[in-house]
Amino acid sequence: MLMTLIRRELLDNLMTFRFAAAVFITLLLVVAATAVLIKDYERRLVDYNTSVETHQQNVRKRQTYSPAIVRVYVDRPPNPLSLFNVGLDNRLGNEINVSPWHVPSLWDAQMNSSDNSFLNIFSSIDIVFIFEVVLSLLALIFAYDALAGEYEGGTLRLVLTHPVQRGYILLAKYISAMLCLLMPLLMSLLLALILLTTSTSIYLTTDDFLRVGGIILASVAYLSVFYFIGLLISAVTRRTSTALMLSIFVWGFLVLVYPNVVLATTAPQDTSAERGASAFGQIKQIWEEFDRERKHFLATDPVPGEDPMFDIDSPDGWGAGDGFSENRLTLSYYYWSVLYYNGKLTEESLPRVPHAQNYYGFLWRQIIDTADQTWLIRRQTLEDIFVKPALIDRILLKLSPVGMYDAATQAWTGTDLKGLQDFFDAVRQYQRTVIAYLYDREAFKSRLWFASDETVVDWDTLPQFSFERSSIGTNTKRALPDLLLLLTINVVLFTIIFLIFIKSEV
Amino acid sequence: MIWHIAKRELYDNLNSLRFALTMVLLLGLMLTNAVVHLQEHPARIQKYLSSVVDARNVLESRADSLYDLARKGPGKLYKKPSPLHFCAEGGDTFLSSAVEAHYYFWDTDDLGSFWRMQYPAATPNLTNIRPDVTKVDWAFVIGYALSLIALLFTFDSVSGERERGTLRLILANSVPRHTVLIGKFLGALISVNISFALAVLINLLVISTSSAVHLGADAWGRIGIVFFIALLYTCLFLALGLLVSARVQRSAVSLVILLLTWVTFVVFMPSILASIASGFSSPMSADELQVRRYQINDKLWEEYHQKTGVSKLQDMQVGSRLVTQDKVEQDRLIEKRLMQQVEQVQRARSITQISPAAIVQHLLESFAGTGFERHLQFLENAQHYGRQYSEFIVETDRTDLQSLHLIGVREGMSQKPVSPEAIPRFEDTLSLSKDFNTAATELLLLILFVVVLLSSAYLAFVRVEV
Repeated sequence: MLMTLIRRELLDNLMTFRFAAAVFITLLLVVAATAVLIKDYERRLVDYNTSVETHQQNVRKRQTYSPAIVRVYVDRPPNPLSLFNVGLDNRLGNEINVSPWHVPSLWDAQMNSSDNSFLNIFSSIDIVFIFEVVLSLLALIFAYDALAGEYEGGTLRLVLTHPVQRGYILLAKYISAMLCLLMPLLMSLLLALILLTTSTSIYLTTDDFLRVGGIILASVAYLSVFYFIGLLISAVTRRTSTALMLSIFVWGFLVLVYPNVVLATTAPQDTSAERGASAFGQIKQIWEEFDRERKHFLATDPVPGEDPMFDIDSPDGWGAGDGFSENRLTLSYYYWSVLYYNGKLTEESLPRVPHAQNYYGFLWRQIIDTADQTWLIRRQTLEDIFVKPALIDRILLKLSPVGMYDAATQAWTGTDLKGLQDFFDAVRQYQRTVIAYLYDREAFKSRLWFASDETVVDWDTLPQFSFERSSIGTNTKRALPDLLLLLTINVVLFTIIFLIFIKSEV
Repeated sequence: MIWHIAKRELYDNLNSLRFALTMVLLLGLMLTNAVVHLQEHPARIQKYLSSVVDARNVLESRADSLYDLARKGPGKLYKKPSPLHFCAEGGDTFLSSAVEAHYYFWDTDDLGSFWRMQYPAATPNLTNIRPDVTKVDWAFVIGYALSLIALLFTFDSVSGERERGTLRLILANSVPRHTVLIGKFLGALISVNISFALAVLINLLVISTSSAVHLGADAWGRIGIVFFIALLYTCLFLALGLLVSARVQRSAVSLVILLLTWVTFVVFMPSILASIASGFSSPMSADELQVRRYQINDKLWEEYHQKTGVSKLQDMQVGSRLVTQDKVEQDRLIEKRLMQQVEQVQRARSITQISPAAIVQHLLESFAGTGFERHLQFLENAQHYGRQYSEFIVETDRTDLQSLHLIGVREGMSQKPVSPEAIPRFEDTLSLSKDFNTAATELLLLILFVVVLLSSAYLAFVRVEV
């Protein structure tokens, strides 16, 4: 019986104009957007590769440690799945300095791009956004007359004269409409994937295909929520014209109005500025303490001479500098120091060299310790000032199914905040490795730190940075809450519709 | 007769569910807009004013020496925020709010490079990890909400009557078809605009009663133009609705077509087309600029080293030439890159004009004094001021008879301190006539769209078989 009903509904739906239009428009938009997105991704990848190359060259051409350590940068590769949901992927910084004088975080990253920055005024579109807007609209278009049409046409009465359970009718309508709606979704995704695989620069792993599977799952749940919303409206209003009108307004509200309005009204608070200022004061104080110890070390030292050079000279040229650097907005404050000589040192400098070695050994141990110490304060404050409001915003967005869908797909693609934080955790880990490597080689107190007159640094042993996107299991864990939320809404809506439909008089 | 039909339509509409929903939606959006504007705008103005004062203080602190003024340049120049920010935000977060005169010391000799205008990359705030949103400004309300509402008011105006059979009744009377069409059109136009005008009025009431925000006569004129554009844009979508409604037998089908067209043209077209169009050209990249700047620098220094070392005076002359030549060539290079970038954006913008939503977005931006065209105006103002500033330096130097008039070398320039008040001030202005000129073609294009759609709606309706 169920099969007969489904077959009837399916045929009804497939033969309609709206089905053809749905398929056409989704395919058109997704293919056009994918072509644009692939090109954009390729450009970002080229930028990334040149940037990695430049940064490596910058380190490798130095003969001593000090000027090279300043120039150790890590680049963030573009995420190939950002085509599906770009999230924060091309909005946050993509290169970050990992010098030991500060603990690198998301807020220290810089943006390196060869793009024309004016182009940012055009908003970018990803595949999930197209689904968000188009699929929800299509779901409502398929649903508005599903029940109301039958009430009006009187066909429902006819159907119910047969010994059919009302739940079956509802189920049949749901299944057949979802099958119809799945078609444009799957076809367009398939085309997008075909386009992706024809591009030579995008490599999707098996895991990536599984993640795309996750996106499909979320899309189906999202579609189904909107179909149920349409069905609910249809069951309640019982008239197609009213149902249609109400559906479109509900759609406009949930998809276009709510996400923008709710975030416009939650402006950042002033208290965060005070919180930031006080934390910045604390951090600065710790560094001032460090500076006093540094000066004390110099003052109690037997050999006169001024840092950072200690009157060491080289006929071939040198470079030196030190000082504090600050950025109040990101609560960044640290002491930096660079010293290098390009070749032979003069005869009279030589006695001072062990002294300078001694100083830099002390200095860098202090710098690294102080950086660690201030990071504890900084991390907590950044969390409070930036991360917490952003999380609240995301929770507010989730009051609309669009927000849940967006969050779920971002979790699958790894372009959400957590995915980005994974990268910066890896950067911090890498910095630890580099510092351990330097300690291991006793680089800070070696002559090689600044002078290359005896040997030069062999950079081949320097640990390389590598970043693996989080495993598919982690993605699943992150996407699951939103996915479950979507499914719960589905179940709730279905129950409500079922109850209304059961009780309704034909 | 037209009025009779329009009145009938109007009464029908005013009593309908869609009118009530429209009212709620528009009022909600416009109130949000006003409240957010009142929250944000005073802070924006405050920030602008204090930055301008700070920049001026820095500049005046250099007035002791003409050489310092000449070398370090006018400092930071700020873009004046528009009082009509609530009409169109115009991607202002992506456009830098200032240009800056940069300078640095060359590490040999005591020659310093001259200032040059830098157009800082408009990097969006990298610390911002909040979700991406579109600003709820008038452009959003008009571009998205109003157009959708216009479609909802007309999708069934012909097909619905045909379904119910009332169309046959109307046409049985001796009413010309165009009268019926125009009547329907006017009825829908008035009912859409009653709610829109009301929402606008409340929005303006909230904004203008607040003491923190002041709107001048010029601003009210601009708001009038913006309202007129909104009217035109509504006409366009009403005409589209009538056209489809007349061609299609069933109103459900008509709505499906209209909604999908709307989604394509309003939501997706502008950004997809812009992305495609911007791929056609690639302006000079930052790395390339760097390389070419070094080339210029190397070439000039080579010349300098060849010609110096004869006498002190000649060294100074050569040095002065080096510095001025360097500034001219670097400026030219930077401006060339800027031009290429601007061209790329303008090409992308002109292609997006296929979508009426993009046209209206551009129009609203130009009349609200925000967005890209406004940014170009600001850059032009800044460049103009830059020239004025350079001339001021030369003039001041000329009035000092003891000076050697060798601009760019400390000893070669006037040693007298400059009066801080005499340094020209940068005044960023918004001019309505200029805005009107840039917007004229887009306005005409919009009118053209409306006329074409209206006449095709007429043709379609004339040929309707009842």
